[in-house]
Amino acid sequence: MLNRDVSKWTTPKKIMFYTAVIILLLVELFPIFVVISTSFKPAKAVFDSNPFAFFNPTLKNYKEVLFERDFINNLINSVFIALMTSIISVSLGSLAAYSLSRFDFKGKKSIGLGILISRMIPPITLSVPLFILMRKIGILDTHLVLILSHISFILPFIIWMILPFFKGVSKAYEEAALIDGCSRMQSFIRVFIPLVAPGLVVSGIFSFVYSWNDFLYALVLAGSKVQTVPIAVSGFIGQFGPKWGAMTASGTLALIPTFIFALVLQKYIISGLSVGGID
Amino acid sequence: MSKLPKKTRETSLKKKSLWFKNKITPYGFLSPALLILAGVLLFPLIYSFFLSFHEWNMASGEAMKFSFLDNYIKLFKSESFWHSIKLQLIFVGASVSIELIIGLAVAIFLNKDFFADKLVRALLLLPAFILPVVSGLAFRFMYNPQYGAINWFIKKLGFAPIPFLSHPKLAFLAIVIQDIWRMWPFMFMILYASISTFPKAPYEAAKISGANRWQIFRYITLPLLKPSIVIAVILRVLNALKAFSEIYVMTNGGPGNATTILSLFIYKNAFDFYDMGFSAGVSYILVIIALIFSVFLVKKQFDF
Repeated sequence: MLNRDVSKWTTPKKIMFYTAVIILLLVELFPIFVVISTSFKPAKAVFDSNPFAFFNPTLKNYKEVLFERDFINNLINSVFIALMTSIISVSLGSLAAYSLSRFDFKGKKSIGLGILISRMIPPITLSVPLFILMRKIGILDTHLVLILSHISFILPFIIWMILPFFKGVSKAYEEAALIDGCSRMQSFIRVFIPLVAPGLVVSGIFSFVYSWNDFLYALVLAGSKVQTVPIAVSGFIGQFGPKWGAMTASGTLALIPTFIFALVLQKYIISGLSVGGID
Repeated sequence: MSKLPKKTRETSLKKKSLWFKNKITPYGFLSPALLILAGVLLFPLIYSFFLSFHEWNMASGEAMKFSFLDNYIKLFKSESFWHSIKLQLIFVGASVSIELIIGLAVAIFLNKDFFADKLVRALLLLPAFILPVVSGLAFRFMYNPQYGAINWFIKKLGFAPIPFLSHPKLAFLAIVIQDIWRMWPFMFMILYASISTFPKAPYEAAKISGANRWQIFRYITLPLLKPSIVIAVILRVLNALKAFSEIYVMTNGGPGNATTILSLFIYKNAFDFYDMGFSAGVSYILVIIALIFSVFLVKKQFDF
């Protein structure tokens, strides 16, 4: 623990350390490597069990997925649903977080904790009543039903994710705005929104990824007319003749937003994880 | 009132309206979020509770029938329900504890300044954010006895290929391995975030007094880490209770019902058999398990 700076270690120790790090990375990233490399394999090579065998890389799988199947539509559906979910969750979430962080009022604690605990409810338990209710309203298999169901698990998370950002804004700013004659709403829009903007962007990206990754609601509440990316990816693996090439190609495309997110927002991920982020 | 000078009356009215405004404003800001959550979260939950006291097979076309505790009696008598509970507990227990051990070991191992350390941590975290469906399917592909990569390694080591997903016990092992692969980085990240901020003084003191590595770990690192371990474990347990899609695409609960954990049990009863009341009852058992852990978590971590 004392010599934490590896660059000051002796050479053999350094070599051992870096070898261990590389092995760890290789093992942990192996399944991702398999998915991405398979997506570039010609049909025959897909069924070669040796993951390191040489093959002639081809874009055939991507061509099939994008141009011969409906995958572009699936992408559009997923992007639209994820964007709407994020916009609604972040706007409503920031209003709620502002209220929870800036006022003292009756029932504040129970409302805040209620919202937090609701985040922990397994979505499968909501899928049954949501299916029956949405069927009654007649909006099964629409974009709307997926946006609403995604809000049910994303909004509570967003409120708790944004809360610390609002708490971090100094009281003096708001008091100055109120003395200058701003209403609460004006001070919220003109003072708070610019100051918490990074928090809003980060939580918006979190909501996008959660909505993007959702499979359960997309399976239960939609799936024939409105198909999202995860449904389409799993659709390539039917009972008979699994199309691994197409599945890995669509899977690789589906991973792009997630990977950008994980690599760019590392700093914020921990704070997100500690309020129960991750699905 | 008329005796009061005009000005005072006005200000008192103004004060009163301001007081009222301040009372009402916080609820005003909260209401859009609360209204939508009431619609998509609270109401469905209550409806599901109501449903659990009714017998209703949606496919039969018959109306809902009040049956009081019948669903609960039925599920407590149901062997497959207890089987799912057992699988759920083993699934959560096995995966979370192994993830904790790996996460802890790697957090201690990587708690150093080295070349590209940030990149290494970010890369290790990737699996935790991979789409569960893609992860489940990738493992299904790799487990395949004929062309799967995992079985290629097994064959290279000189063993016969293992048909992971068609053997009940092995299929269960396979879903646990998938979960461990995907989620130990989550444990690692939370523990690392804590470990990297530890004070140096106790370690220096331990070194001077000649403590060995195990003693340092046992008497310094572990006690300092305990709060983070508790939180990470509860978060992971709650998360493992939600597991569904990766298992659905890997095994669909099979072979037989060897991997039918609670979420798949609920799904099958609701959407294969359309036994809505019964599956609502099972849902509530799962909700109660999750709520118990949430209360622990909330008490540990969150405060206004």
